[in-house]
Amino acid sequence: MTTGNGSGKRLPLEGIRILDFTVVWAGPYATQLLSEWGAEVIRVESTKFFPSTTRGGLARPSPELVRQGGSGGYPDYEPGDRPWNRAALFNVHARNKRSVTMDLTRPEGQEVFERLLKVSDGLIENNAPNTMDRAGVSWERISEINPRFILVRLPAFGLTGPYRAYRTFGSHMEAVSGHYSVFGYPGALADESGTSLLADPASGVSGAMAFMSGLRHRRRTGEGLQLECATAENFTGYLGEYILDYSMNGRLGGYRGNRDLVYAPQGVYPCAGEDRWLSISVGTDEEWRALCGVMGRDDLAADERFATPEARRAHHDDADTEILTWSIFQDPVEAMQQLQAAGVAAGAILNEADAYADPHLREREYFQTLEHPEAGAHEYPGVLWSAERTPNRLRHAAPRLGEDNEYVYKELLGYSDEEYAHFVETEHAGMDYDPSIP
Amino acid sequence: MVDLPLSDVRVLDLSWHVAGPYCTRVLGDYGADIVKVERPGQGDPARLMPPFFEDEPGIERSALFLHLNTNKRSIAIDLASEGGRETALRLAGWADVVIENFSPGTLDDLGLGYEALSAVNPAIVVTSISNYGQSGPYRDWKGSELTIWGMGGPMLYTGSPDREPLKTAGHTPAYQVGATAAAATNIALWGADASGEGDHLDVNFFETFMGLIDRRTTSLLNYQYTGETSGRPPAGQTPGSGIWPTGDDGFFFTTVVGPRWPAMAEMIGHPELLEDDNWLDPAWRGQEEPMAQFQALVGEWMRNHSKREIRQAVEDAGVYGGPVNTISELLTDPHFTERAFFQTIDHPTTGPQTYAGRTYRSSAHEWPPPPRQRAPLLGEHTDEILGETLGLDAAAIAGLRSTGAVS
Repeated sequence: MTTGNGSGKRLPLEGIRILDFTVVWAGPYATQLLSEWGAEVIRVESTKFFPSTTRGGLARPSPELVRQGGSGGYPDYEPGDRPWNRAALFNVHARNKRSVTMDLTRPEGQEVFERLLKVSDGLIENNAPNTMDRAGVSWERISEINPRFILVRLPAFGLTGPYRAYRTFGSHMEAVSGHYSVFGYPGALADESGTSLLADPASGVSGAMAFMSGLRHRRRTGEGLQLECATAENFTGYLGEYILDYSMNGRLGGYRGNRDLVYAPQGVYPCAGEDRWLSISVGTDEEWRALCGVMGRDDLAADERFATPEARRAHHDDADTEILTWSIFQDPVEAMQQLQAAGVAAGAILNEADAYADPHLREREYFQTLEHPEAGAHEYPGVLWSAERTPNRLRHAAPRLGEDNEYVYKELLGYSDEEYAHFVETEHAGMDYDPSIP
Repeated sequence: MVDLPLSDVRVLDLSWHVAGPYCTRVLGDYGADIVKVERPGQGDPARLMPPFFEDEPGIERSALFLHLNTNKRSIAIDLASEGGRETALRLAGWADVVIENFSPGTLDDLGLGYEALSAVNPAIVVTSISNYGQSGPYRDWKGSELTIWGMGGPMLYTGSPDREPLKTAGHTPAYQVGATAAAATNIALWGADASGEGDHLDVNFFETFMGLIDRRTTSLLNYQYTGETSGRPPAGQTPGSGIWPTGDDGFFFTTVVGPRWPAMAEMIGHPELLEDDNWLDPAWRGQEEPMAQFQALVGEWMRNHSKREIRQAVEDAGVYGGPVNTISELLTDPHFTERAFFQTIDHPTTGPQTYAGRTYRSSAHEWPPPPRQRAPLLGEHTDEILGETLGLDAAAIAGLRSTGAVS
């Protein structure tokens, strides 16, 4: 299998091999981005251990659970014989990657892992630190085996400190990082505004950034590097002005909802249909008048309550009511197109069907069809950014568990056919989770 | 001078507002040399974006600007002037990377588009950050962080199920675009170094949000698999999960995955539930009535404990969760404190203030690192950059100043 993109131009990371020990969402995003630009990413997995919320919620979810949506999505709600190869949760980010299995809890598995460390450039992981301790992943050990190795670690709170062993998802880290003290509806309590979902993707891009920086360090110094980006610390960087505002002015941010310090009115307004919404930001008097024009409300364009940015801010509730009495009869996507044509910043809250139908994304060929041997052909969100001189498309669908065992054991690590047969027999190399795993 | 991973990278930063400056802030944290080009007079518009020191607007007083622009040098250039354009092209010859987030086409109009920049420096990587991309029907559409996050991001999944979708706070969406652009630039630079041929990257808000891992991309593929669209879940989707008021007037956020439920029942002092087969069945206890009953028990226990006590109990039980910190609690949080995360940085206007710390630690560098260099005053390094970086003599610098090309 080539890693080329068909254009003849090399992708920047061709020739770089990364071992992927990532789970759930943050870590897989880091390796997804690196694989998109040519890195060979090999997921190191085990048939003896099913990490939760990665290849689905459970290895073998019941059909009832799948119908309830309790274990992520499966094609046509059918978990199939090997549900772990059909989970949307996994297949969406594992495209372009490879999968090898070995049991790191046995010495033989650790020997395979050591060989793999010697022929790879780096490893990225986002597990609880003590999980990695048990798997034998530590900078002390790895740097001895391969002094030029780049080890990127994305722990929740850090490799040190009182929260080191704490179990947590991205949305909890946002709570700890202070986000939920500023993310909320005005006047609401912290338990009334739902949760937010940005710490994981933030951590993912920080991991890709760290890995690339490690490569440059190695090229300049000849030495490897461990880089640690704690997800919770990384996300506080997204809240820097709130931290400074508190430091400078003693102010705790509080909840602004969807309102803004610059735009007024700004909000998310209900539209016709179930859970259909339109967002609007009005910056200038001209934009306000354009909005009134689209709404067919010349009276509002002339209304003194809304004549200036200060007036609109002072009468924001009134403006919201006027917009709502119009929006509630609109289709949000059509209204967005009308408002944008009139020069108003508006965005429909696009659901999945809207997104796949969006003319802009279509023209830019954002979605891309991948054929998966067990999940079928489907359209995937594509390469996250484009490069003018390096055309780039997704190369292949997500690997089935252990799909690349022969490639890794024989081709990369040089095991003979007999030795490989032994690894299959001793259940290091396999394509099915142990029957005891639910 | 500490030798950081990107110490050999030179960046011409033409960006402003939030996304571009966060991109170069990340590059600067990794050691890159950032030359920030600003408009003479007012500089980066973020200098006049709130909040301000002592709530008084001023170009050296914006918390947003001060946070985003550490570790950078500022040169004020009028890019619309001939001398300004020539100076920018000289800087492109010096740089490895250009970061910009003007409206698409603006740099071309200034004679500083990718073609002009690569003519000066064929290996240069130009990263353009925009709302909707450099092409396509929405290219010139208006947008705010709210409207583009609404279109592209996972906004249908955030907020209360009973209310309108809620944007993540502040400028967090734009920060994500900036961080993505930094990683993209770093990747492209690796290729450019190897081939000697640069590239022009198109990083945009809309597609960055549409490609956000977690609910957005997962739900997009889920829709392909099942035809199902989805909405805002309650914080408490499973028994024991939720955001709970605590005894010390705070909140604590827990998520209980199935296998951890028994430990949660024990944690809240109700081990007797484990003797009932009904309760041990996840499907049974997930029904409305038992779930409400269990939530009431959890709520009562939470109200009788402090956040710190809950934190310890949750850790012992192996339940996922964390305290809901205010910013002041964050700054005194024992974990962040022990890891010496926050930095104090002095500034002539504001004096010493507390900043979010560097977001990576490495095996080759001491921790805590030296504090970042404070954000530059407008045009603070104009002479230094023209003289030391570009090697212009005093007469040439005076000439540029006299025409208003730089200041």
